[in-house]
Amino acid sequence: MVIGMRFHIEVLHPNRCIGCYNCVYACSRHLYNAVDVNRTAVFVRETGSLENPYHVIACRFCKDPECVKACPQEALSALPEGGISLTPAKCEGCKTYDCVHACKLGALAIDFKAKIPSPIVCDRCGDCAKFCPHNVFKYEEMKE
Amino acid sequence: MRKMRERILYIDLTEQSTKVVEGGELFKKYLGGPGVGSKLLLEECPPRVDPFSPEAPVIFTVGALTAVFPCMVKAFAFFKSPLTGNLGESHAGGHLATALTLAGYGAVVVKGAAEKPSVLRISDEEVKLEQASSLWGVSTFQVEKTLRGSPEGMRSVVSIGRAGENLVYYAGALVDRYHHFGRLGLGAVLGSKKLKALQVTGTRERPLKKADEAKALYEEFHRKIVEGEVMAKYHNLGTPENLLVLNEMGALPTRNFQKPRFEGVEKISGDVYAEAFLRRKISCPGCPVACIHVARLAVPFAPEHEKARREIFTEEFQVPYNYEPMYALGSNLEISDPEGLLRLIFLCEYHALDAMIAGNVLAWATEAYEKGLVSREDSLGVVPRWGDWESYARMLENIVETRNPFYAKLAQGVKAAAEKYGGLDFAMNLGKNGPAGYMTGPAFIVGGLVGARHSHLSNAGYSVDQRALKKPLTPREMAERLVAEENWLYVLYSLGACYFSRRVYTEEAVVKALKAEGVETTVEELKALGRKIFHNLYKFKLQEGFRPSFKDVPGRFFEGETSLGKLEPSQVEEILSHYVKLRRREGLKLVPEEKMLMDLLAPKKSRGEET
Ligand code: SF4
Repeated sequence: MVIGMRFHIEVLHPNRCIGCYNCVYACSRHLYNAVDVNRTAVFVRETGSLENPYHVIACRFCKDPECVKACPQEALSALPEGGISLTPAKCEGCKTYDCVHACKLGALAIDFKAKIPSPIVCDRCGDCAKFCPHNVFKYEEMKE
Repeated sequence: MRKMRERILYIDLTEQSTKVVEGGELFKKYLGGPGVGSKLLLEECPPRVDPFSPEAPVIFTVGALTAVFPCMVKAFAFFKSPLTGNLGESHAGGHLATALTLAGYGAVVVKGAAEKPSVLRISDEEVKLEQASSLWGVSTFQVEKTLRGSPEGMRSVVSIGRAGENLVYYAGALVDRYHHFGRLGLGAVLGSKKLKALQVTGTRERPLKKADEAKALYEEFHRKIVEGEVMAKYHNLGTPENLLVLNEMGALPTRNFQKPRFEGVEKISGDVYAEAFLRRKISCPGCPVACIHVARLAVPFAPEHEKARREIFTEEFQVPYNYEPMYALGSNLEISDPEGLLRLIFLCEYHALDAMIAGNVLAWATEAYEKGLVSREDSLGVVPRWGDWESYARMLENIVETRNPFYAKLAQGVKAAAEKYGGLDFAMNLGKNGPAGYMTGPAFIVGGLVGARHSHLSNAGYSVDQRALKKPLTPREMAERLVAEENWLYVLYSLGACYFSRRVYTEEAVVKALKAEGVETTVEELKALGRKIFHNLYKFKLQEGFRPSFKDVPGRFFEGETSLGKLEPSQVEEILSHYVKLRRREGLKLVPEEKMLMDLLAPKKSRGEET
């Protein structure tokens, strides 16, 4: 995948999901050089039985993100194009994870394997969407 | 972190104890999957043990590249098969391989037996055996719902149904609702251990050794799988596409292998299901293909007080369908009612019964009944009739519950049933396993007879026949292909690959993939490894008394047409003898047929001396 490009990504057709986890694997490969279904910025959640449709979740790049407002350390900041960035030095791994709870969609997870557990921020590489074989995501390159 | 994959978890159900052992060398030498599984089976399984004895182990393994590359998704089980009396080897898709990998285990060895019905929970943090009498007798579907939850991490739920509880020799285990450990009776072995279900949850990571190489390769393989021709068939109609193709070729087993074409095939074709029943497709985590096609079976019902409006409510079931059950419970029983066929597949899912062998057994029973070998009293009043799915559904229930001596025999497979009631000639089996749906020619027959797990996927004999259709092959060439294919497939399986991806993982691709994991090897070394794995699996088979013999091929195979014409017994015999020669040249101690009897007696004698 081309490095450095950034994408607008949207989970547009979650019911098309086949549960292949390609998006999750692609994300954790990109962020952590590993396959890890917990350390990812895109989620395929199972709900009670595999008979039910998969629940696919990714950051919606809110203009006025609640996770940002929830952080007492101001470790998260809103980006003008929507979405957030993390200032790692400010995040203390506060243990209450207010940012996670503030996102009612459940699109924010904590990297519990880091020394100081901190939120995993989507960096818009687009790999989740590119590896999805069932067009669950809508994505387009962002003009800088 | 890479070491995680090399840990072996030992669980003793009787003692309720566990231990974790570093398997370093074993994994280095044998990679994973059947490589590691066959060694552990030889170590852990006492020779000639009763498959239902607590001492008989069940071993699960994952591949060396599970989750690292696409289609590296299979989990492998090794045990002593109650059906064949020798090697039990079964591969399942679903979440299990990934869940075990992310829980930090490369292999799990389960021994002993629980006292009461139990559930085994395995996660990174702990291993728990919980009593679960309330789940005994409950369907596989309900168990999946009970144990799925909303997992943090990758979770797999494996469960047995009534078939396994009642020790039906070809009971399987359902994996993550749509996948299976099928064929050789893992479900019955788990049932004998009173293990109703396993729940595995993995939350760790699987690090990439050389991340940049691995990522580039992932993309290369992904493209080949998604955009290329090699796997296109599995994406679209899926394997049900085969029904029309094989019918056209004259290779679709019909009416217990009496005919190679089915008149009603158009009514149960892949297209029919795609148009009228297909509801969704399902993938294994780590595979973009979604070869599992799930049908919606809607059965009208109305509560008592709504009798008049029966048409507006349905109870709905999701039934995964693919070619093999459709041949076994469809054309081979001459069932052309697409919904009836779905219902039979549904029953096999619900009770976790191998659908192929179930169809096989019903086909034999129908002929045995027609020929007067079994009576109406035996069948408890059910008259098996070609095409009559309702009678077959009742018979399946009777088998699952082993309702009388006749059904108890059917629960042991066609060979056992025919040994008691007669009709060995049409008791369709290869190595006591139910043959797959390919009346393609002699390589299919020999392949099934000699394959380590007696599956058409062991060595793809059917595709050797198909090749011979284009350009004739000598018996020796056919034998060579069977040997080479099975050896190589064991390399792929030891990486964790799914059979369907074999055209993606060419020799060079595998060398590159392993290199990205820091394993330097050559095609020659890998081939030697595949051979070694096959030999280890055969060591177990030979130890348990198995010898491939032409005498075990049912006469029916030579009565009807195949896509390569009517077969002469000598054709099969010739390929088999070449095969045995080739394997012996490799150093496998396969005795020729004439010495077989003596050899079979010998080990028993020496065992007698020991005791
Ligand atoms: S890649 Fe697409 S189809 Fe696969 S799990 Fe993710 S959203 Fe679902």
